[in-house]
Amino acid sequence: MISFLVLLGIVVCFSAILALALNFQWGLGGMVNFGLAGFYTLGTYSCALLILKGGANTPVATLGAMAIVAAACAATALVTLRVTEEDYFAIVTLGVGEMLRLVALNEDWLTKGALGLSGIPRPLGDVIPADVYVYFLLGLSVALLLGTLWVLNVLARSPFGRIVRALREDDVVAATLGKNVLWARVRVFAIGGAFIGLAGSMHAFYYQYIDPTQFTNIVIAYAFMAVIAGGRGAHAGAIWGAAAVMVLLEGSRFLKDVIPALDSDRLAAIRIIIIGVGLILLLIYRPQGFMREYRLQVELK
Amino acid sequence: MSAVLSVAGLHAGYGAGDILKGIDLSLDEGRVLTIIGPNGSGKSTLVKTLAGLLPARQGEVRLAGEQVNELSPPKRVQRGLAYVPQEYNVFRNLTVLENLRIAHEFMGRGAGAPLPQDMAALFPELPSRYQALAGNLSGGQRQMLAFACALTVRPKVLMLDEPSAGLSPLLTADIFRTVKNVNAMGVSVLMVEQNAIAALRISDACVVLAGGRVRLAAPAGEVLGMKDLQSLYLGETPPVNGRAAA
Amino acid sequence: MLQTAFNGLVSGVIMTLPALAVTLLFGVLKFPNFAVGAMMTVAAYMVFALNGQLGWPLAAATATVAVAFGGVCIAIDQLTFKPLRGRGGITLMVASLGLGFILENLARFAYGNTARSFAIELARPFRFLDVRMNREQMITIAISALAMTLMWLLLTRTPVGRAMRAVADNPQLALVRGIESERIIRWTWFIAGVLLAVGGVLIGMDRALEPPMGSNYVVGVFAAAILGGLGSALGAFAGAMIIGVVSELSTLIMPPNYRIGIPLAAIALILVFRPQGLFGQPYIRK
Repeated sequence: MISFLVLLGIVVCFSAILALALNFQWGLGGMVNFGLAGFYTLGTYSCALLILKGGANTPVATLGAMAIVAAACAATALVTLRVTEEDYFAIVTLGVGEMLRLVALNEDWLTKGALGLSGIPRPLGDVIPADVYVYFLLGLSVALLLGTLWVLNVLARSPFGRIVRALREDDVVAATLGKNVLWARVRVFAIGGAFIGLAGSMHAFYYQYIDPTQFTNIVIAYAFMAVIAGGRGAHAGAIWGAAAVMVLLEGSRFLKDVIPALDSDRLAAIRIIIIGVGLILLLIYRPQGFMREYRLQVELK
Repeated sequence: MSAVLSVAGLHAGYGAGDILKGIDLSLDEGRVLTIIGPNGSGKSTLVKTLAGLLPARQGEVRLAGEQVNELSPPKRVQRGLAYVPQEYNVFRNLTVLENLRIAHEFMGRGAGAPLPQDMAALFPELPSRYQALAGNLSGGQRQMLAFACALTVRPKVLMLDEPSAGLSPLLTADIFRTVKNVNAMGVSVLMVEQNAIAALRISDACVVLAGGRVRLAAPAGEVLGMKDLQSLYLGETPPVNGRAAA
Repeated sequence: MLQTAFNGLVSGVIMTLPALAVTLLFGVLKFPNFAVGAMMTVAAYMVFALNGQLGWPLAAATATVAVAFGGVCIAIDQLTFKPLRGRGGITLMVASLGLGFILENLARFAYGNTARSFAIELARPFRFLDVRMNREQMITIAISALAMTLMWLLLTRTPVGRAMRAVADNPQLALVRGIESERIIRWTWFIAGVLLAVGGVLIGMDRALEPPMGSNYVVGVFAAAILGGLGSALGAFAGAMIIGVVSELSTLIMPPNYRIGIPLAAIALILVFRPQGLFGQPYIRK
């Protein structure tokens, strides 16, 4: 039981980092990343490939993955630099995310396609004894989570953060400002992307085996639910949200033992349905917190 | 003379505070009432609230004695309270004819019969342009179309938000002449105007709004005669020849 | 090459109906509804239930489900989007995403992941001008053409259609012109539901029936609607045809799995150079 909780704790940590990244891009920057699953895939695969094919060690691979996803996000944001409507941005990110997932699935020569990549080593895996390793990994994950929280908070409170918030509040102002200021949006998206890459790397280390089916819509749904459930108001909300969502849904894996009539496909389907319903209910009944800032904006118009 | 539109203690606003802070006014049947006041006094907000686009936080609005607070804008229109917004008052991507058709099809429940012959007399420019897209009309023509739509079924009350805004003096005169003609057909008119003098000349009554409150309600002639409208505007530069100084 | 172009034509024709639904929904409800793909999937499976399992002829099954699904969409709107009216684009988009998850997995729960197909008599493909065509494709083209004509008539000749266009043009003005927005919204969902149901069946005829069948088309359909100009019915048709044909032609030079790159590139280009699309109006968000 304890080890299950420890493992759950690790998953909560990198899911929370993913939620924080989404919160940074969306809550602070006003840019909703519907391609989250795709960028997450990119992060995970980049990290794994840098180790398996590039021979890098785990810290270098992680940093590499962060850089790659940051670059991909920057490129995506650049395309929509001129267009500030959130609708269009969402559609573009959705498409980019899909493209990235397709690449992971189809470029067998690189990613082994549907077979996936296995044998991903864990950080300091051969140094720390096996029976205490999970505790180390948990500690590392928590440390990374706290580090992420700290960095993103510092950025949010900085002058940079103020500019981004100003841009988010007023599309019209944003449209009339010069390119230099609009670059702030690209930077926000890229920074968020870096942390998506971090979460992806942690995912790779945790599972040690990755394939495209791990990155279905569940990932997006988790992150969105976490951000919305947690509410805005310091990033702490996103963390609590991620924890709650994760516990609920990973815990539902036990459903399989309780209701043997359901095969794994059906079970997976039910879990996603629960997520979807939960997401919608959250949106309807918990509009404050995350949505608080948006509400003010809409009312004034 | 009974009041066809009466407002009591109306409060409304967008965000935290109220923009309208307790408005009382009444429009008598068959009359023209013009509301004037400085920018930001709440004139547009008032008309929007009466039309139902903004919920009333307090107070009552009665149309021909009937309370309309709970009614949605479409229902108010169908009861005979027509509204012409200041901007975006025609469907730009639809033709002139389609604009008129929509008004005819959707405003008419329960109101009076349409007035085709009066329409041609009131808006001679329109029939030849039926297939034109409303967005391609000139400013003055769009205004006329907006009017015509509001009148396709004879409303009890016609509310106009700055009908002469952005129009040349010639067109402005046209507009006010049309308003007078419409009134002559029995439509009561409530008008918000920046062009105070010209509007008051065709009005029966006047209400001065400032800071969200009614400062004065008097017959139009009386207000026209006042030497110091400035004091009513609370320190703001009074309109020169009907147009507010920039 | 002619064969590929023809396949693209069929592909474009298939995308026209959902693109039309997307553009109608966007015009009236003012947000992109990402659940349309999953909606097509569910409708297709409903038709499968009648046709593949109960043995109804496909045409009857489709017609029945189309009307029923119109009602289903109205119900979905009442439960999901109506409580969120006026909340702002992102909220609605996220809700539509969640809805998409729910619908797609309802289909998966009911029918599993194995591919199914409709029960239709096999007919031999024929050749015309050296291009191989089959009966299903002909039916698809005919049905889409009919649907488009009916839509055009609806939008231009009926009060409801005019009201829908009015609401898309200026929702506030529509209110003060006596148009009751909820009524128009219900009509819009009904019509979108019919379009999506038929669209789903056409996809099911062209490819197999499986849970992701509709969602696979989401990016393409949105690209079509955006390319044509969100809110313009003619644009939806033009956009769908262009995306369909260009996507197919691209397989001559690109690996077919990346076909999705075409709609994506189209969206990117449009957003950079002409955000209102071919026939759309620059959208004034109030």
